[in-house]
Amino acid sequence: MFSKFKKLKLATLAFATVIAGGAVADTIKIAGWGAKSGPLRSFGVNSEAIIKAAIDRVNENGGVKLADGSMAKMSYDYYDSACNAEQGIAIARKVASETNALIGIGPTCSGVAAASFGVFQKKVGDSSDTGLQMPLLTDTAVRNGLAKISQWTFRNTPNEPDMYDKLFAWIAKTNPNIKTIYGGTETNQGHSAGTYSKVIVQAAIRHGFEWVNGPIDEVSDKIGSGFKNVLSSSSNWLMEDTNFSVQARAFKKSGADLFIVSSHPFTTCGFLKELSRMKGMPKMMVGLTSSSSAEVMKGCPKQAEGMIIPTSFAPITAAAKEVAALAAANGGSADLHSAASWENVMIIKDVIEAVGITGDPSKVNEERAKIRDGLEALETTEGLIGTVTRVQDEGEALKPFVFVHAKNGNWEVLHDPRK
Amino acid sequence: MSFGLIDILQSLIDGILFGSIYALIGLGFTLIFGAMEKLNMAYAASSIGGAYVGLGLATLFSLPLFLVFLIGPIAAGLISILVYLVSFRLIPSTNHLGSLMASIGALFFIDEVIIHETQGSPLTFPELGIFAEAYFMLGDLGFRGDLIFIMIFGLISMGVIIYLLYYTRLGLATRAVSQQNVAARLCGIPIHTINISTFVLAGILGGFAGCMAAASVGVISPLLTIPITIKGLIAAVIGGLGSIRGAIIAGLMIGGVENFFLLVRGVNERDIYVFLLLFVFLVLRPNGLFGNEINRD
Repeated sequence: MFSKFKKLKLATLAFATVIAGGAVADTIKIAGWGAKSGPLRSFGVNSEAIIKAAIDRVNENGGVKLADGSMAKMSYDYYDSACNAEQGIAIARKVASETNALIGIGPTCSGVAAASFGVFQKKVGDSSDTGLQMPLLTDTAVRNGLAKISQWTFRNTPNEPDMYDKLFAWIAKTNPNIKTIYGGTETNQGHSAGTYSKVIVQAAIRHGFEWVNGPIDEVSDKIGSGFKNVLSSSSNWLMEDTNFSVQARAFKKSGADLFIVSSHPFTTCGFLKELSRMKGMPKMMVGLTSSSSAEVMKGCPKQAEGMIIPTSFAPITAAAKEVAALAAANGGSADLHSAASWENVMIIKDVIEAVGITGDPSKVNEERAKIRDGLEALETTEGLIGTVTRVQDEGEALKPFVFVHAKNGNWEVLHDPRK
Repeated sequence: MSFGLIDILQSLIDGILFGSIYALIGLGFTLIFGAMEKLNMAYAASSIGGAYVGLGLATLFSLPLFLVFLIGPIAAGLISILVYLVSFRLIPSTNHLGSLMASIGALFFIDEVIIHETQGSPLTFPELGIFAEAYFMLGDLGFRGDLIFIMIFGLISMGVIIYLLYYTRLGLATRAVSQQNVAARLCGIPIHTINISTFVLAGILGGFAGCMAAASVGVISPLLTIPITIKGLIAAVIGGLGSIRGAIIAGLMIGGVENFFLLVRGVNERDIYVFLLLFVFLVLRPNGLFGNEINRD
C-alpha cells in the first residue's frame, strides 16, 4: 500500500513526465456548428447526426492514428449558430480561442459563412492580420465562392456553377423544344437569391436559353453578370411568405418553357401549389440544390412532379446508402448538405494521420496550422458518390453530382453525368 | 414583367381574400384590447401553436385530418389561457408595459418551443378539402375557393362575436369590464373569469385563423408567426383598436394593399407601403377607421 504522501509523489511524477515528454492525447477534438434553432434547424440537426455517425464509425475502427503511432478517439462538440451571422462569428471566436478543437465543420447558412469567414486570418502567416487561425471545413453553406475569403476556410460543398452549367447543357441537348426561361427566388435568403441571380440564369443563357421577355441588361453567360437586373426582371418572394398569387400569375403569364424556382422547401411548396392551382405548370422546372430534400417530397410531391435538380448526394452507392441509413438512425436525414459532414470527418481523419498530429493541447495552434496545410495540399478526396477534386487555391471542391427529378413522391436519378 | 388592369384587379382580389387571415388575427388582437386595453403580442403565436398541436395530435393518434381544424382552435384557446395567466394575470393590471413585454416573451417562447419540437422543418398541413383545389373564374379574374371560405368564415366570426358581445350576459359583462373595470367589480362581475373567457374566445378564433393560414399554403412553419403577428397587429391598429368591424375591414385592406404593391413595386418594397399606411393612420387618424376611446365595441 502506498502512503498518501507516496501517492501524491507518484501522481506528481506522472504529471511531470507527461509535461516534460509532451502530452499524449487520447482524444482528438473537433467542433461543429450549424443552425440548430430557427426555421433552418433541420439543417444543423442533420449535419450533427451525420457528424456523430461518422465519428462513431472512426472510433469503432480504432480511432485516429497520431504522430507517435498511438490511436486516439475522436470527439466533437456541436454549437448552434442559428443561421445568425453574429452568433456564427461568436462561435468561431469561442471555438478558436477557448477550446482545443483542431478544426471546425460548418456553418449551415451562406450568410453566416460569408460573415464569419471574414474574422479568420486572410493570408496564412500574415503577422499583421490577427484573425482567427483555425482551419474550417464547411459542409453546408453553399453560396458560390465563399472559401477564398480566408486561407483557413475550406469547403466540401457542391460547386453550383459547375452543376447548373452541366444541367443546362444536358437540357439543351436532350430537350431542344425548351427555349425560353423565366424564374424567381426568395430574395431574403442568401443562397437562394445568390445562386439564382449569379449562377443559374447565367448558366441557362450560356447554353442558349433565352429569357422570355427578351435579354436582361448586362446579363451574359458570365457568372454574376447583371445579377441585380436578374432579380428585378424576375418574380420573387420572401422566405416567410405564404401568398404567392402575384408571383405564380407572373410565371404563368410569362409562358416560358422552363421555370426556375430557386427557393428552399417551405416556399417552394407554397409557390408550386399556387402555380398548380392556376394551372400554370410549364414544360419543365429546375429547382435549387437545397430543395432536393425530403421536405419537398413530404410537402408537395404532386406539384413538384418533374422538377429537376442537380445534387451531390443521392443514395446510389453502397456508401451513400449506408450513410443515409446511419443518418436516419441518428435522428437526421442525409442530403447534399448533411452528407458532406460524413465526408468531412473522414477527410479530417485522413489529414490528421497524414500530417502527424500529437493532440498535445499546448501545441494546438501549431497543429491547427499543420491540418490547414494538409487540407490545402489535398488534390482529391473520396466522396460518397465518387471522387471529389479539390480546387486547391480556392479551398473549394468539385464534387460529383447527379440530376434528380421528382417522380411519384421520390427524388429519382434522372441523369448521371459521371457516366 | 408588364401588367395591365386585369393584373391589378386580380392582385387586389387575391390580396383581399388572403387578407381574411390578417382580419381574423386582427380581430383577436382587438377583442383582447377591447376587453383589457392591453395588447397580447403572443396572440398569433398561440394561434399557430394551436394549429401545431392540432396537427400533432391528429398525426399521433392517426385521427381524421379534418379534426385538425377542431383540435387546433381548442388547443389555441388553452394556450391563450396560459398566456393570460403568465403575461397578464400575474402582472399588476396597472403595469401595461410589463404585460406587453411578457406577452412578447410568450410569443418568442411559443415560437421556440415549436421550433424545437419540429426541428424547424415545415410540416405538411391538411388543406381545406374541396375548397383547396377550387378555383373559380369570373371572366379573366380568378378566385381561390379556400380563401373565399376563409373570408366567409371571418365574416361569420365577426357576426358571432358581435352577437356574443351585444346580446348575451357574457358580452354585457365583458363590455362592463372593458368600460369601467372597478364598477364592474363592485357589481360582482368576476373580472378574471371574464378576461379568461375573452382570451379563450380570441384564442379559438386565432386557432381557426392559424389552421386556415397553414391550410392555405398546405404547410405549417414557425416562419408564419412573425409576419402574421405584424400584419394582424397592423390590422387591429388601422381598424381602430377595440373595433371588431374595423379589424375585419382593415385586415382585408392590408391584404389588398400588400398584394397591389407586390405587383407594382416588387417583393422587396411591398411591406414598406403597408407600414407607410400604418404611419399615415397613426398620424392622421390615430384611432383608426372605427375606433375611439368612447365607443369601442
